[in-house]
Amino acid sequence: MNCETARRLMETNDPALADHVLSCPSCMIGAHARYYEAPPGLERKIRQSLGRQQSAPSAWRWLAIAASLLLGASVAWNVALLRSRVDREQLLAGDVLSAHIRSLAGTHLLDVPSSDQHTVKPWFNGKLDFSPGVKDLEGFPLLGGRLEYFDGHAAAALIYGRHNHTINLFTWPSPTPTGAGAQTLNGYHLQHWSANGMTFWAVSDLNETELSQFASLYRRK
Amino acid sequence: MTYVTMTASLPAALPGSARAGSIAMGSATKRDLFEQTVMPHLNAAYNLARWLTRNGDDAEDLVQEAYLRAFRSFDTFQGQDGRAWLLAVVRNTCFTWLRKKGNQPTTEFDEQTRSAADQSPNAESVLLNQAALGSLHDCLEALPLEFREAIILRELEELSYKEISGIARVPVGTVMSRIARGRKRLQQCLAGALR
Repeated sequence: MNCETARRLMETNDPALADHVLSCPSCMIGAHARYYEAPPGLERKIRQSLGRQQSAPSAWRWLAIAASLLLGASVAWNVALLRSRVDREQLLAGDVLSAHIRSLAGTHLLDVPSSDQHTVKPWFNGKLDFSPGVKDLEGFPLLGGRLEYFDGHAAAALIYGRHNHTINLFTWPSPTPTGAGAQTLNGYHLQHWSANGMTFWAVSDLNETELSQFASLYRRK
Repeated sequence: MTYVTMTASLPAALPGSARAGSIAMGSATKRDLFEQTVMPHLNAAYNLARWLTRNGDDAEDLVQEAYLRAFRSFDTFQGQDGRAWLLAVVRNTCFTWLRKKGNQPTTEFDEQTRSAADQSPNAESVLLNQAALGSLHDCLEALPLEFREAIILRELEELSYKEISGIARVPVGTVMSRIARGRKRLQQCLAGALR
């Protein structure tokens, strides 16, 4: 009896298989003993441990680690920066609004009452270490100027009118651009932007649309 | 349970460079060569470890360890058959582990009692093949370690006596006698189980 016969006996469930097993165990092993195949995950595990062995001192690996650390640090830094900027902005907005309300509550709205930009602008000479941009804006008559103090330095306040509303436009130099934004605090609207190394904050009880119109008009001129 | 008929992959599958004696190995090509010559024989490695340890989890751990060892000592690889080379490492890893574990698992079975037992006259007429195969499996596992090793390498991996002698580090004559005695024991074990 050979292995072919044994296979046939297996398939037909023939009792003669027993005799074959007994007469030729080695061919039975070859044909029917279990061949254990490696479990599915084993190859991956081996490759992983081989990879660890091989690439431990790899320069590329260190470079990748360094790069990802750097990226992480930079993300964290930027988030912190953004947060601090947002916090700063909130703080400043409060200051700007306080200054605006103060200017309207007291008698000190204008240091230089004039609708003429050529009077207002020179008035700041010698009082500030910068020259604010005083502009004539259509529909928003210039009322005059005033000195203010913001964020650790002197600022110019330019006062414009719109119907019965007063707009305070504060400006001071800032070496880094602070971006632009709009917000509403206690029913007052605020707009800020930066241009040419200067920061601008406009604040008024005027409605939001018209204040935006004012801001874009000023920025365009 | 699935019973797989083994068709051995022979060294013809090896790349020519791997067989050309000493190989200059840069660290970059070492892994490539290892991939080509040793990685493909994972099933053979696992099968041997599984039969030697008689336990799937241990076999898996030992094969992994053996692969690491093989990679570390791959510089000694002279371009011979990658499968036989790997199986030698697997075999040594398993034997070291079994020895450390303290149970030299040569489960000696009593040939006399096994064959004398169960003399029921009707047993041979109602043989179930499943039972025959189950007995085959049990009897193989019950073989003394050295016999089991030789039989598995010969019958399942279809290695030559010479290759087995290289793996087990014993003379060819010893291999032949182990295989012959292993078969005989197997036969007796099966006779005891089936009759």
